[in-house]
Amino acid sequence: MLDIQEKLKEIGPYVPEEDDDLLVCRCEEVTKGEIRKAVHGGITTIEELRRFLRCGMGLCQGQTCGTLTRRLVARELHVPQSEIDVATSRSPMRPLAMETAGNDLGNEEKQ
Amino acid sequence: MKVERKELIVIGAGPAGLSAAIEAASHGVKATVFDENARPGGQLFKQIHKFFGSKEHKAKIRGFRIGEDLLKEAEEKGVEVILNATVIGLYKEKEVQVQIGTEVYHYKGDAILVATGAAENMVNFRGWTLPGVIGAGAAQTMMNLYHVKPGERILMLGTGNVGLVVSYQLMQAGCKVVALADAAPRIGGYGVHASKLARCGVPFYLSHTIKEAEGTDCVTGVTIAQVDDHFRFIPGTEKHFDVDTICVAVGLSPMAQLLKMDGVEMADTRGGYIPKCDETGATSIPGIYAAGDVAGIEEASSAMIEGRMSGAAIAEYLGYMTGEEKSSREEELDHSLEALRQGMFAPKNRGRKIEKTEEGIDISETLLTKGYIADDEIKRFPGYRYEVKIHPVIECTQNIPCNPCQTACRKGCISIGDNITSLPISVKGSECVDCGMCVASCSGQAIFLVKENEDEGTAEITIPYEFLPLPEVGDKGSALSRSGQKICEAEITRVRTSKAYDGTNLVTMKVPTAFEDSARFFIKA
Amino acid sequence: MSKTADVIIIGGGIVGCASAYYLAKRGITNVIVLEASRSIGHGASSRNGGGVRQSGRDVRELPVAMCAVEKFWPHLSEELGVDTEYTQEGNIRMGKTEAHLKKLRTLTQNCKNMGLGVEMIDKETVHEINPYLSDQVIGASFCPTDGHANPLTTTLGYYMRALDMGVKFYTGAKVAGLKKYRGRVREVILEDGTVMEADNVIMAAGYASRKLINTVGLDIPMHDEIDCCLVTEMEPVMFPQMLGCADADFYGHQTHHGSFVFGAVAGPEALMDEDTDTVNFAHAATLGASCRAIEGYVPSLKNAKIVRSWTGWCDCTSDGVCVLGRPEETPGLILATGFNGHGFGTAPAVGYMLAQITVGEQPLVDLSPLRFERFYQI
Repeated sequence: MLDIQEKLKEIGPYVPEEDDDLLVCRCEEVTKGEIRKAVHGGITTIEELRRFLRCGMGLCQGQTCGTLTRRLVARELHVPQSEIDVATSRSPMRPLAMETAGNDLGNEEKQ
Repeated sequence: MKVERKELIVIGAGPAGLSAAIEAASHGVKATVFDENARPGGQLFKQIHKFFGSKEHKAKIRGFRIGEDLLKEAEEKGVEVILNATVIGLYKEKEVQVQIGTEVYHYKGDAILVATGAAENMVNFRGWTLPGVIGAGAAQTMMNLYHVKPGERILMLGTGNVGLVVSYQLMQAGCKVVALADAAPRIGGYGVHASKLARCGVPFYLSHTIKEAEGTDCVTGVTIAQVDDHFRFIPGTEKHFDVDTICVAVGLSPMAQLLKMDGVEMADTRGGYIPKCDETGATSIPGIYAAGDVAGIEEASSAMIEGRMSGAAIAEYLGYMTGEEKSSREEELDHSLEALRQGMFAPKNRGRKIEKTEEGIDISETLLTKGYIADDEIKRFPGYRYEVKIHPVIECTQNIPCNPCQTACRKGCISIGDNITSLPISVKGSECVDCGMCVASCSGQAIFLVKENEDEGTAEITIPYEFLPLPEVGDKGSALSRSGQKICEAEITRVRTSKAYDGTNLVTMKVPTAFEDSARFFIKA
Repeated sequence: MSKTADVIIIGGGIVGCASAYYLAKRGITNVIVLEASRSIGHGASSRNGGGVRQSGRDVRELPVAMCAVEKFWPHLSEELGVDTEYTQEGNIRMGKTEAHLKKLRTLTQNCKNMGLGVEMIDKETVHEINPYLSDQVIGASFCPTDGHANPLTTTLGYYMRALDMGVKFYTGAKVAGLKKYRGRVREVILEDGTVMEADNVIMAAGYASRKLINTVGLDIPMHDEIDCCLVTEMEPVMFPQMLGCADADFYGHQTHHGSFVFGAVAGPEALMDEDTDTVNFAHAATLGASCRAIEGYVPSLKNAKIVRSWTGWCDCTSDGVCVLGRPEETPGLILATGFNGHGFGTAPAVGYMLAQITVGEQPLVDLSPLRFERFYQI
C-alpha cells in the first residue's frame, strides 16, 4: 500500500534541473522535466505517466524510452527501479494497418 | 475466422529459434518458425566476425556462416520457416496472430517457443534525437546486410563487446572511428577486441560519456566529458570531436512483450525484464517456452544451445521423447552451455572487477582502461615467450571460454589444456612451422608470429590483417605499437591469404629487432 | 497513515477521484481514497472511448448526462488545470438500414421528450457534417451538444487536484469488506487487515463493488463484461464529432493528439472470463472484427495504423443504468456503481452529486430512478 501524500512529502517538491528540457520519449516528445513534474504532482506509476503525458504511447510503444522512463521515475520516487512496474504489453506488437487487421477472416478462404 | 493448428510454433528465426526448431524436429516434432524479417538468421547474418568458444560452439567460424549452416540444417530436418511474418499478438490457448503481407492469420500451437531476441538500449543526452545518432546494431545492419556506410567519422558510446566489435567492423567498412567512450571506468568487452582497435590508434575514453550531440539538422560533432563516481560530469573535462555519426552500444533489452501480454510471469533481473523460466526455457504457462536473448541477454553461441535445450524439452512435452532421453540430452547441452558461461566475462561476474587471472597473474590495467597491454605487462603472461626462431606470441590475457588456437597448431606450440578458459601457453621448445593457422584461428586476432633475423638485426612479425586494401610485399611504412603509435619503420615481406584462413590475412613485416615485442600493426607510408 | 476520515471512497477511478475533488472543494479534505491497483484510474476510467454523450441515453440517466454537459464539461479543463480535451462538436449515431433508423428514431424521440436537442438527419446532412463517412450510412441521429474528451487526463486531473487539496490517496489498497458499527456502515477492512473508519463510505469500485457490499448484506444484480478499444497512430485532422452507430458495434473519435480511439464489440466478449488487469489483451478475434466494423463506417481510415489495443471491464446492471445514492438499509454507505459503460461522460456530475449526497444536500438532478431500492421490484 502506498500513501501518496506521505510519498510526496518524502520526495519533496519539484526542483527544476538544468537538463529538464531533454527529450525522454521521442515519439511523443515528452521531456525529462515534464515527467519529473508529473511525479511530484502525484504520478507514481508508469501506467499513470503514460496516460497523463503519453510518454511511451507512440509508434514504438516505449521500446526505446521505457527503460529511461522507469529509471527516471524510480530516481524521483527514491525507490529501486525494480519497484516501478513495467508497462503492460499490448497487441499489436508492431503498428498494423486497420485494413490488414480486419483481413483475418480465414486462412482457408485466402489460400 | 479460421484458426490453423500447428504442432510447434517458434517466434523468431534467430540462433535460438532455429536451433530449437532443428532440435525439436530432429525428435519428430513438426516445427513452424515465423520471423518478421525478409531473411532468417536473426543477428547472425550481421556477424561477420569469427566466434569464440570451442569446436562444439562453432568457434572461429564467422557468424553469418553459422547462420547459413543453421538454415541448411533446418531445411534438412523439415522445419517450416515463414518469413516476412510478424507475430502481432500471443493470446490464450497458445494462439498467435501473424501478419503476412496485408493479411492476418491465426494459428494455434501445441507448444510455443518465443525467441524474439532483444532490442538496443538508448541513452538520452542533448541532441540524441538528431539524425546520425544510431544504435550500434543498426550501424551493423546498415553495413553488413545492406552494404551502406552509416557515416564517415564515428564516435562509439559503449565498450562492451557490441561496441568493440561494431567499431572494428565500421573501420573495416572504411569509416573513421574517432574514439570509444564509456561511462564505466573499465572496458566492458573482451580485451582482445579492444586491442584490435587500440593498435590501429583508436583512443578509449573511460569514465566518459556524451554531453551533447551537436548539429541542427544532423550530427556534426560530439562533446564528451569525464564523469565522477556518481556519473556526474566533471567541469573542464570536455573533449570535442568532429563526427557525422554517433553509435550507441549501451546494452540490450529483451523483447519479451509477447510473453508478458500472454500473462507469463515476469522477473526484473540483471539480464533484463524477462520471463521466469527454468533452464529449458519453460515459462509459468505449460507449453510456452522462451530461449535466447528474450530469456536473458547473452550471446549467439549460448542462444543456440539454449534453443537446443528448449527444443528437447518441447519434444518431451509433446511426447516425442521420454523423460530419460530428454534428461540425458539436456545434460549434454548443459555441459556445453556451462563451458560458455565460464571465465571473467561469465554472467555471474557481470559488473565485477577482476584483479587476477585464474592462473593468479595480475590483469593488465592498461588493457582495461586504454584497450592495449603495456609493453612492460605483456611478458608476465604465458602466451609470451622469447625465442630467436619463429614462434607464436599469444596476447590473450583474460580468461575467456575459447580454445581453437590449441587445435589449430598441429605442432603443439600452443597449449590451453582441458580448462577452456585457461590462458593459452606458448610452449617452450616446440617447433613452429610458420603455417599461420593459429593466427587465422584466433577470433580475437591476438596471435602473432615472431622471428629474429640475427644476422641483419631485424625481426619479422606476422600479424592478422582484416582490412582492405591489403598491403603488398615491398610496401614500406611504419610499424604501430599496441597503442597505435608509430614506433619504427617497417617493410612488408610476405602477404598470405588462404581459404583455410577464412578471410583473415597474414601480413609479415620486418622491423628492427628492438621492436619485435612492441610492433603489432602496420601502416603504409 | 491515517485510518479515520470524514469520508472513505473505495475506488480510485474517475468517480472516486471526482467525488474526492468536489468534497475537497467544499472544504471536506479529511477524505481517504482507496485504490486496489497500483495506478489511479486503472479500471474503466482509463480504458473507455472518451464519449461525452447524452443522446441515446436511457431516460433514467439522461438528466445526469445533460447536467454533466451543461454544468461541468465546458469549463473543466480550466477548473482542473489539465487539458481534458473536451470537444463539443456533436455525436453522429449512424444507421445503414431501415431497421437501424427505426431504432435511432425511438431513441431520439425518447431523448427529445426529456428536453434534449437531438434530431434525425438524412444522408445528405450526415455527409455534410462529416464527409469521411461511408456512403452506406443512410441517416443518423445528431446531437450537437454531445462530444468527447480525454478520459486519461480528466481522471488524473481530478486526482491530482484532489491530492493537491489534501485528500489522502492510497494505492495498492485492496478492500476486503465493510462492517457496520451501531447500525451504520463505518468500518472499511483492507485485505492486509488494516481497519479504517469514516462517517460516510462511498462505494465506487466498479464491478468489485458488488462483492464488497455483499459484506453488509446488499446485492446488486450485475455482471461484468469485457470491452475492447484500439488506438491508431497520429493522423491528419479529419473530423471533430464523436461517432456511434445504431447497432452499437463500434464508437470512437479523433483525439486532439491526432490518433483515433475506437471501441468495438466483436461478439465473444460478453462470454469471456479474463482478468483484464493481469492478462491484458482483447480476444484474438476482436481486433479484426473491430477493424471491419470501423472500416464499414469510415472507409478512409483503412490505412491508419493501430499501435495499441486494450480491454476493460464494464460493470453492467440488470436494468442498464447505474446505482447512485444511499440505500435506506445501510446508513453511512453511498453507492456509485454499475455505470454500464456510461461512467466517464457523466462522472463530473456524478462526483459533484456524490459530494452533495455526502453532506445531505439535495442533488442537482432527481436521482430517484437510480436508487438502489429499485431492485426490490425484481
